[in-house]
Amino acid sequence: MNYFFQQLNREWRFMLRQKYILILLTCTFLISSFSVLSGLNEISQQQQTLERLKAADTVDREAAQKKHHDPGSIAYYSFHLTSSAPSNLAFAALGERDIYPWKHRIKMLALEGQIYESDTQNAELAQAGKIDFVFVLSALSPLLIILLFHDLYASERTSGRHDLLVTTAKSSWALWGARGAIRFISLLLCLMVPFYFGAWLSGTNLSNVVMVSFWSVIYLIFWTILSVYWGKNASSAPRVASGLIGIWVLFAFIIPILGDLTINKLVHSPEGGDIVLTQREAVNDAWDIPKETTMDAFIASYPEWKDHVAMESEFEWKWYYAFQQVGDQTAAPLSQAYRDAAHKKYQLAGIASLLSPPLLLQRVLTRLANTDAVAAFQYEQQIRDFHERLRLFYYPFLFTQQKLGETQLATMPSFEKLTQIQKAELNSNIDTSQ
Amino acid sequence: MVTTDLSNALIKADSLCVSIKNKSILKNLSFHVDTGEIYALLGGNGAGKSTTLKTLLGFNTPSSGSVTIEGKEVNQALNFVRGKTAYLPESATLYSHLTARENVNYFLSLADIKKTDDEINQAFDRVALQADARDRHMQTYSKGMRQKTAIALAILREAPIFLLDEPTSGLDPVAIDEFNQLVRELASTGATILMVTHDVYGACQVANRIGLLRDGELVGEFAAAENSRIDTEQVHAAFAQRGTA
Repeated sequence: MNYFFQQLNREWRFMLRQKYILILLTCTFLISSFSVLSGLNEISQQQQTLERLKAADTVDREAAQKKHHDPGSIAYYSFHLTSSAPSNLAFAALGERDIYPWKHRIKMLALEGQIYESDTQNAELAQAGKIDFVFVLSALSPLLIILLFHDLYASERTSGRHDLLVTTAKSSWALWGARGAIRFISLLLCLMVPFYFGAWLSGTNLSNVVMVSFWSVIYLIFWTILSVYWGKNASSAPRVASGLIGIWVLFAFIIPILGDLTINKLVHSPEGGDIVLTQREAVNDAWDIPKETTMDAFIASYPEWKDHVAMESEFEWKWYYAFQQVGDQTAAPLSQAYRDAAHKKYQLAGIASLLSPPLLLQRVLTRLANTDAVAAFQYEQQIRDFHERLRLFYYPFLFTQQKLGETQLATMPSFEKLTQIQKAELNSNIDTSQ
Repeated sequence: MVTTDLSNALIKADSLCVSIKNKSILKNLSFHVDTGEIYALLGGNGAGKSTTLKTLLGFNTPSSGSVTIEGKEVNQALNFVRGKTAYLPESATLYSHLTARENVNYFLSLADIKKTDDEINQAFDRVALQADARDRHMQTYSKGMRQKTAIALAILREAPIFLLDEPTSGLDPVAIDEFNQLVRELASTGATILMVTHDVYGACQVANRIGLLRDGELVGEFAAAENSRIDTEQVHAAFAQRGTA
């Protein structure tokens, strides 16, 4: 063991004398620190936004409930904040949070338009993405490894020292093993120390920290072995670097881009805007078609209210909310096709990621951080569940003229409570299955 | 020509054949170097000198025949062989961002050998490396000074066998004289030295025996008579007979 550390100690001191390696490691540390700080800042902003919205949401809703007294008006003027709070690992893997929405203020109106409204925003804005830790780890760290390891052998060959080193060293470990290990450990620390700092600030679970460390080490080992193996018998460092950079471009850019193009070609999906348009047209048309047509369509889904659909005046809230629901029902096939396509794309992206280690790592870590498309799908489903509970809460008051007083309002569904219940149910299912 | 007595042979190549990328480089090469002897393998470009040296260091695998050091097959006892040999490459490029002392310390540590500063200074004294140069970065060194540092390292390794690859190539005449003297001094203390060179005059100045290598074959051997040197003209004449041996 003493011999082992002696070799590491010698190579550590030797590395400290090599300026270009020190510059490279410093750059690595700075880039990693920047990505962590950028992630922390982004998550902090998201949390602040949510806190601000939460406070405003309660005040707004209470004001609406005080101002209006009939259930239809209360439902119409009350917004309900729904949100997907960032996990304590999200700072490291922002994932899809800059593409999929993580907050919606919804009303009891037709839901599809409210969900897919943001889909019609300029998607180009989301293209640039954010420089987070996972991006640095998956896309940039291979390049840093290539720079650090491509000339491990070649530089010694071109300078004429290789044979002298090999014949002098007591063992291969003493030379290449210790030298490679020190470079690897240094790079790993420069990348991971900022992450650990961020994890400490964010209160990240130890298990998540361990898992990120595990996957990071596996990933960096993969690139290190590739770089060392590629350069082992080569005599020209630039040639080794060119080959490795070619592989990096292939894995980090070409395969993901081709994969994305292929998946989009294979899986056809309606646009979010089409869903919004279909739903809005159905809602707008409802003003002009016979009320019975709307009510019949509503009753088909909610037969329990069939004895309460008769109207005594031209406008009644129950009809208004019925055609909102019918608008959603009309857009439902498109909405389902959109979600099915999104799930299919996610599955195919999983297959594509098997050909691209950077993509695979991003997928694993964003899943761990709950910032991937799956998390977005789950959030969307939570909104749908909440919207349904909200409707089911209001329908008795709308269809049977029950009084909606403070006592009843206190039992109104809350998105936060719903997600807590769902989480508890999920945990309980996990416990039972174990 | 020389009679062959292998009883004292420290280095021995026996019908050695080496091919690289399907090209036959060494063809039935046989020679031996005795303890305390200075043996020069002399040959022109492409004769197979460096291949012979690299095979002795275990970088090439013989396609047939054998090469042994202290009776052990090189490729089967690589660590043993490398522990017994001190190799001096043609261009002794040590780390230019380190001083001579730091270079020596680094390489000794690689070999897991511990030496005191006094012992290192003694080695530097022995190769006549100026005291004020020892703690200077080697990027300021001449080739002769780098060569001296590498020899100091070889001395400190206390290896009984020195393998020298074109050791005087690029040195000025004064440096060559100093080097030759150093080599003779090493041999006088019991070191066995095998050097490959294309310098006929230099080889005759320092070697006890010379093997003439041509197209991977040993085409002649010359030995010095007692208390005299090998006849340069005779070796030169043989060296110049390209393709006729």
